[in-house]
Amino acid sequence: MASLFVIQGRDQGSRFQLEDAVHSIGRTHTHSVRLHDTEVSRNHAELIRKGNAYAVRDLGSSNGTFVNGKLVTEHELTSGDQVQVGRSLLLYTGFIDDRMEDAAGQVDIVPMVGGSIDDGSRIVASLGQTGGSEWLMPDARGSSNPWLARARSNLQIMYRTALAVSHTMDIDQLLARIMDMIFDWVEADRGCIMLKDLETGKLTPKVRRHRRGVRTEEKISISKTILDYVVEQNEGVLTSNARDDSRWDPAQSIVTLGVREAICVPMQGRYEVVGVIYIDTAVTPQKMLAAKGANQFTEEHLRLMIAIAHQAALAVEDTSYYKALVQAERLAAVGQTIASLSHHIKNILQGVRGGSYLIELGLGDHDTMAKSGERDEAAEQKAVDTIRKGWAIVERNQERISTLVMDMLTFSKEREPEPRAANLNEVTSEVVELMASRAQELSVELVWRPAGDMPSLMFDPEALHRAILNVVTNAIDACDEAEHGRVTVSTRYDDDQKLAQILVEDNGAGIAPDDIEAVFTVFVSRKGGRGTGLGLPVTRKILEEHGGQVRVESTVGQGSTFILELPATPAEAEGNQRMTQSFAAGDLQ
Amino acid sequence: MSPTARVLIVDRSRESRDVLSSLLARNGAKVLEARETWRGAQLADAERPDLIVVDVEEQTGVCEDSAARLIAAAARNDAPIVVLGAFKRSASPLPTTEFVAKPYQYPALIRRIEELLGSRS
Repeated sequence: MASLFVIQGRDQGSRFQLEDAVHSIGRTHTHSVRLHDTEVSRNHAELIRKGNAYAVRDLGSSNGTFVNGKLVTEHELTSGDQVQVGRSLLLYTGFIDDRMEDAAGQVDIVPMVGGSIDDGSRIVASLGQTGGSEWLMPDARGSSNPWLARARSNLQIMYRTALAVSHTMDIDQLLARIMDMIFDWVEADRGCIMLKDLETGKLTPKVRRHRRGVRTEEKISISKTILDYVVEQNEGVLTSNARDDSRWDPAQSIVTLGVREAICVPMQGRYEVVGVIYIDTAVTPQKMLAAKGANQFTEEHLRLMIAIAHQAALAVEDTSYYKALVQAERLAAVGQTIASLSHHIKNILQGVRGGSYLIELGLGDHDTMAKSGERDEAAEQKAVDTIRKGWAIVERNQERISTLVMDMLTFSKEREPEPRAANLNEVTSEVVELMASRAQELSVELVWRPAGDMPSLMFDPEALHRAILNVVTNAIDACDEAEHGRVTVSTRYDDDQKLAQILVEDNGAGIAPDDIEAVFTVFVSRKGGRGTGLGLPVTRKILEEHGGQVRVESTVGQGSTFILELPATPAEAEGNQRMTQSFAAGDLQ
Repeated sequence: MSPTARVLIVDRSRESRDVLSSLLARNGAKVLEARETWRGAQLADAERPDLIVVDVEEQTGVCEDSAARLIAAAARNDAPIVVLGAFKRSASPLPTTEFVAKPYQYPALIRRIEELLGSRS
């Protein structure tokens, strides 16, 4: 599906999916692409689907519609185009080309028989990855052709630049690398990279370097005249004795700053200039003599710097988009979490309100009876029953909020289990006991079958308690509507496989095969208002932290079995091992 | 509330059904309960309640067929539908006489149900 992703502006991070014949862009809620941007007109532009692409058409907006920085009335979009409306910048992604999807069907991979494939092809030469880039390195035998040597050297610089910019997602780190490389190749004294602020357009220095031996405490002063020229004209400049250059006004800053030789190049990205790279060198009279008047920086340096700056700009753009994307996804996840939690808390609150209202009514009835002085045992009992019912509901919801908080804590932090010798039968039995009243309330039979041969094992009993509790709670809830609800909790121990299992079996509605994985997805609950969507993800997390797993076997209409598998470390073996180790250590001394 | 008034509660939460049915029963109404919308539609067809209270879960929603049957049954008996929901009224899948957003206050809900039943008699 095609989409517009807001990379700049108030709606930054919003993604608009495009699939209809026409999508309108504007400020009001009637638009499918609604932007909260005062610079966007009420009816700003529209996107018209033309086959497998969209064209943007301006609807006579006050501030115009721009594609890749150019004002347009109508323009067919291609993937990667940037559409600017008002202060909002939107990145267009087109439909996936069908031809790309079909590629898999068009290519056959056939086995090689006897050193050759069917058409008789065989390998005649091969070269490793390192070998492939070796030809870019300076020729050890020395090249008789200076042009070829220079070309090869430049190509090597570009190759290394491409490698350097493709390995980082941190802009500051990326710029530092670029600067280091420039200093390796160009004899500059000082240099800096400035990036343009997307909002204000102002250039801000990000990285600064000095050649060793150059006074580092001295500030780099860069002429604004040069910077403006580079950004506005999108041209790299080489300045050497500015007074000779007719383009510079002698009265301007360049003269007073006394820059002898400098290179300043625009960092031209796909769509605009994202910054500039500046290097300079102070040419002393001694150097001038040694160089016989030749310039330290040449046009070739300038060309190379422009090429490097372009590579750097592309990487800066990619990193910015990636960051915006990550940020958008993070915001979406936070939003979903908050929405989901609010929903659960709202349901709990509703329960508390219901329970307390019943208590209030019961107390009210009781007061009325006390005031009237008449004794009516049936009415009194009714009032007490109402209070009791209300209290039970309040208590249950108190338990729900406590479970929610505990599950949130367990889910949110990376924690190492704290194993200690414990009995899995005892831990499971505690859960069964705890859930007995809930099962009774829902008329669900709760059966407990402990394994007869369960040894003492090493695990985190508190964590396992929570893991088992979540599964048993779900099983009981699953039987809520069953005719004769029944939950069987059992444990097993397999000494050969060193595996302990807790099985929780219910005869509830069961889970469709397609939904099984979804039950472990955080905040996805099949229990409506009662479920938090955290229980099973928490159980899985706890088991995985123990090196175990949770399996589900389920048949729709018949029920489900959740199997919690725990790799068993018998407590005695652990103790023995420790003793052996300490003995061995003592032996060595 | 008319002592003969019959109210159908459709709510997946047993707890919510419990609270509401206790409150309505105190006021003399005969309460019918259903967990699922389809079961509610069946009961509405058979019992012809005077008013229907439906809780619509944001996440699970309601089955369109069941909702249509419930609406039809309510319309036959001219019974108002009160929707309890966690979303905005405009997002309600049922044409509602009354929409009550969660978390609601029980006294206000009961009062409104009484008013709706009163206007019928």
